[in-house]
Amino acid sequence: MKRTITTVLLLLTIGLCKAQTDYSKSLSGVEWVKITSKSNVTVMVHDKNEILIKGTQKARSSEKAKGLRLVGVGGTVNTNVGFNVVQEGNDLIVTNLRKNESAKIYLPKNQKIAVTSTWNGGISIDGFNNEVEATCELNGGMMLNNISGPLTANTLNGQIDVIFDNISQGSPTSLNSTNGAIDVSLPGNTGADISMSSWNGDMYSNFDIKSSSGDNGLRKVSSRKTNGTINGGGVSISLKSTNGNIYLRKN
Amino acid sequence: MEKRELENRISDYFDGLLSPAEVAAFEKRLSTDNDFRTEVDEFKVLFEAIKQEKKEIPSKQLAKNFEKMLQQEKSNQVKVVALASKDNGRFQYLKIAASIALLIGVFLVGRYSAQRASNHSLMAAQQEVLEYKEATLISLLGNESASKRIQGVQLVEEFDRPDEDIVGALGEKMLSDENTNVRLSAMEALSKFSYSDQVKVFFIQALETEENPSIQVALIEILGQLQEKKAVGPMKKLLEKEDTQPFIKKEINNVLPKII
Repeated sequence: MKRTITTVLLLLTIGLCKAQTDYSKSLSGVEWVKITSKSNVTVMVHDKNEILIKGTQKARSSEKAKGLRLVGVGGTVNTNVGFNVVQEGNDLIVTNLRKNESAKIYLPKNQKIAVTSTWNGGISIDGFNNEVEATCELNGGMMLNNISGPLTANTLNGQIDVIFDNISQGSPTSLNSTNGAIDVSLPGNTGADISMSSWNGDMYSNFDIKSSSGDNGLRKVSSRKTNGTINGGGVSISLKSTNGNIYLRKN
Repeated sequence: MEKRELENRISDYFDGLLSPAEVAAFEKRLSTDNDFRTEVDEFKVLFEAIKQEKKEIPSKQLAKNFEKMLQQEKSNQVKVVALASKDNGRFQYLKIAASIALLIGVFLVGRYSAQRASNHSLMAAQQEVLEYKEATLISLLGNESASKRIQGVQLVEEFDRPDEDIVGALGEKMLSDENTNVRLSAMEALSKFSYSDQVKVFFIQALETEENPSIQVALIEILGQLQEKKAVGPMKKLLEKEDTQPFIKKEINNVLPKII
C-alpha cells in the first residue's frame, strides 16, 4: 500500500514538473499566430487546435531566478516558459522574452503564422500548409521545410532555405534578402511566374525558365534580373537578393 | 499559351473564335489556375449582361398604324404619269452609277455608326472592369496578409496609367508597410511610372525614411537614372550616416556625379 502511494506521488510530481515546463492555450478565434524572438525559434506542427510551447532544460533549472519573474522589454512573462502570450483581436501575439534561449512551438498544420527573429536567432519552420511570414531582422537565417505557402520571407544577413512540398496558387510568394543567399526547392511540375534578381550574386536553376521578355524579339540586357515562367506559368514567385546568390532547384 | 496571352483572349473564347487546340489550352488553364478562373468568371458575367440586353421589338400596333398611314398617304397622292424619257444612254448610266455610289455611301455610314456604337459599349465594359480592378487593388492593400498585399500591389500592372488614388495608395505602402517585401514590391511597381511627379516625390521621401538596404540601393539607382536633383540631399545624408552599409555608400558615390 505504502508503495502504491509513493508511486502515485512520484508520478504526480513528474506530471507537475512537466506541466510547469510546457505551456498550452486553445486557438479558437485565432486567425494569425505572431511569434517574436531574439533567439532561435523552431515552429512545428501537431494535431491539436492549440499552441504548445515547450520549455527547455535551462528554463527548468534556473536556480538563481527562483521565486522571481522574468521582466523583458516585450512585457512581463505571463506563462511558465519565459513567454508573453496575449490575444489581440484575431491575432495571438507570442513573444519570447528570454534573449538567449531557443524555443520550440507546436501549432496546427493549417495555422497562419508570422515569425520574426529580431536579433541573432534563426528561424526553423516545418510542415505548414497555410500562409507563412518569416522575418530575420538582423543576423538570423531561416530553414523552412515541407511548406506550401504563400510564403513571405525576408532576411538582412542570413540565408533563406526553403523546401516547398507544393506551392499555393492563391497569392504571391516572395523571398528577399539583402546579404544572404536564397535557396529554394520546388516540385518539378510547379507552374509559376518566376522573377529572380541579384545585384551582386549569381543565379542558378535547373528549371526550364521560359523568358517572358523574349516574346517581343528583345534580348535580355541585364544579367541581374530574370523573369519567366516554369511549366506554363502560374502564381507569382519572386526571389531577390541584393548581395547573395540565388538557387532555384527541382525537388 | 502564356497567362497574359490567355487573358487577352478571354473574349475570343466566349465568342467562339479560338481554335480547338487553343480552347483545350484555355480550359486546362481554367481548371488549374484559380486566379485565372476568377478573372474568366468576371468576364463571363459581363458578357452575359451584354448578351441579355433586350432588343427593342416594336409592337404589332405600331406596324398596323404605319400600314394605315402609308395607305392614306398613297391615296392622297396625285397620280403621276411618267413621261417618255428623253435621256440619252450615257446619262442613264450616270444615274445608275450615282445610285450605286449612294447605296455604298449609305452602307458605309451605317457600318461606321454601328461600329462606333459597339466600340462605345466595349469601352464602357472595359471601364467597368478597370473600376472593379481598382476596388480589388485597394481592398487587397488593406489585407492583414503580406502575400495578399503584394498581390494587390502587383495588380497595378493591369493599368496603363494608374490614377492618383492608385499611385497614392501604393506610395503609402512603400513608405509605411511593416513588411519589407511589401514595401519592396510597391517600390518596384511604382518604378514603372517614375515619369510621374507624384511617384518621384514618393521615391525621395522613401529614400529619407527607408532603412532596409535592399530598398535603399534600388531607390538610389532609380533616382540616379532619373537624374533627380532633389535626391542629392537625402543621398548625402546617407553617406554621412555611420550605419549605412558600405555597398550603399559605394552606389551613392557612383550615382551622385551623374546627377550633379
